[in-house]
Amino acid sequence: MKSNNNGSIKELATLVDSAASQACAITQLSAQGVSLSLAQAYQVQAASVAKRIARGEVQVGIKMGFTSRAKMLQMGVNDVIWGPLTDAMLIEEGAPLDLSRFIHPRIEPEIAFLLKKPLSGKISLLEARAAVEAIAPALEIIDSRYKNFAFSLEDVVADNCSSSGVVLGQWHSADIDIANIGMVMECNSQATQIGSSAAILGNPWRSLVAAARLAGEAGVELAAGSIVLAGAATAAEPLRAGCHIKLLTEALGSVSVSTLTDENGERADEK
Amino acid sequence: MSDEQLQLIAAQLRQAEMTGVACKPVREQLESGGIDAAYQVQQINVKHWKEQGRRAVGYKIGLTSASVQKQLGVDQPDFGGLYADMAVADGDEVSFGQVLQPKVEAEVALVLAQDLSMSSPTMADLIRATAFVLPAIEIVGSRIENWDISILDTIADNASSGMYVLGNMPTQLQDVDLRLCGMVMERNGEPVSVGAGQACLGHPLNAALWVARTFAARGQGLCAGDTILTGALGPMVTVNPGDRFEANIAGLGSVRVGFSKEA
Repeated sequence: MKSNNNGSIKELATLVDSAASQACAITQLSAQGVSLSLAQAYQVQAASVAKRIARGEVQVGIKMGFTSRAKMLQMGVNDVIWGPLTDAMLIEEGAPLDLSRFIHPRIEPEIAFLLKKPLSGKISLLEARAAVEAIAPALEIIDSRYKNFAFSLEDVVADNCSSSGVVLGQWHSADIDIANIGMVMECNSQATQIGSSAAILGNPWRSLVAAARLAGEAGVELAAGSIVLAGAATAAEPLRAGCHIKLLTEALGSVSVSTLTDENGERADEK
Repeated sequence: MSDEQLQLIAAQLRQAEMTGVACKPVREQLESGGIDAAYQVQQINVKHWKEQGRRAVGYKIGLTSASVQKQLGVDQPDFGGLYADMAVADGDEVSFGQVLQPKVEAEVALVLAQDLSMSSPTMADLIRATAFVLPAIEIVGSRIENWDISILDTIADNASSGMYVLGNMPTQLQDVDLRLCGMVMERNGEPVSVGAGQACLGHPLNAALWVARTFAARGQGLCAGDTILTGALGPMVTVNPGDRFEANIAGLGSVRVGFSKEA
């Protein structure tokens, strides 16, 4: 086991941060002989996000991960994970997207909450509801910095939960019932993923409650005005060049993004 | 294929049903006759069940999801017959052994108000003829060992039908978006299958129209009062003794079924 003093947390943060900023895949930490506890993985995450903040990025919210039972079983865990989102990750809805900033991006349909009140600690569903200004459909682009998207729980947490891009759709009233809304993700008008918001912990509101709990445990607050990405409604789909991706939802409208087709925008996926 | 061969296959499937012991796949025996021969086997059993006095109440459509079609290497759905004795009331308990190798899936059921007897019915004809839609749980089963099925096996085996449960509150087509409606089915409170209307051939009405046109092409029609189970909105789920399932389809409401602890 590699020593886990502050120095090595910093080194690991530099490693994942430069992999992200240079769009260059690295071997997963656990396969490099680095053994991190979950708490240490979150320290690496915090240190790597601090580097982004030092470069002028601003935190705009957080994302939740492992919010489906299938994913938890697959990873052998019983709880969700989370990571910060920064303004550099926000992608304009409908705008052309250059894929050269990613390694092997995948896209998944999500639901986003916009907070009007800060949240932290153990809260009820009612308190969660009272803290939300609006709800939007969203597309999240995940891009593991690890080769072949292969990672352990600690690896992915250290890598800021593969966070790399968010496209937000139109904000809707928080009164809309989002427990079980159909979500269809299309690529060039072909349905590629079909699911329901119920895949997010059985009800996306539970994800917000969990986010507040994790924030409380970490001694931080989800700020008013920040975004909480509740988790994926389906499996992620590889994001390729020349795709018009559109997420259609039952009650929250649609959100879309198009990837550029030019050669500079393409990057061979790892075989 | 000779009638005798077809009769033998049909009898093999009935025997499996009667004894509760699944049989070997029948696809090799049906290979030369293909899909037509498989439906002939189904028809032999339909005739048999009619003679037994079972009341036909509609049809189920199977192989309606892109992933299942891909898995079986086919590009078309299939259908089987529904009988009154297959209908379970919402919330009832089914004896675990009643359906061989049971699995459940959540679907949109449609009930016809009028006959659909014209040649090549259109979507407009289907919408006009639809009385209402209901949420449904289909309990599928297979008389073939370990569900080792090709399209020929499942067609011959009445499209792997078993029993079905309908919700009790009808909804009109104009009041629900059957393409984007979310579906979640819980087993003992845990979500085990999620999906949306789009998963069924792009829209559950597409599946219903397929069966209406298939029947029209055979010179038969669908009848007023027929129940059409249009096809799964999410992955099929294996049933264990004692399980309780609840499926919710947004806009259509919920439907429940339980299974006994012992056969």
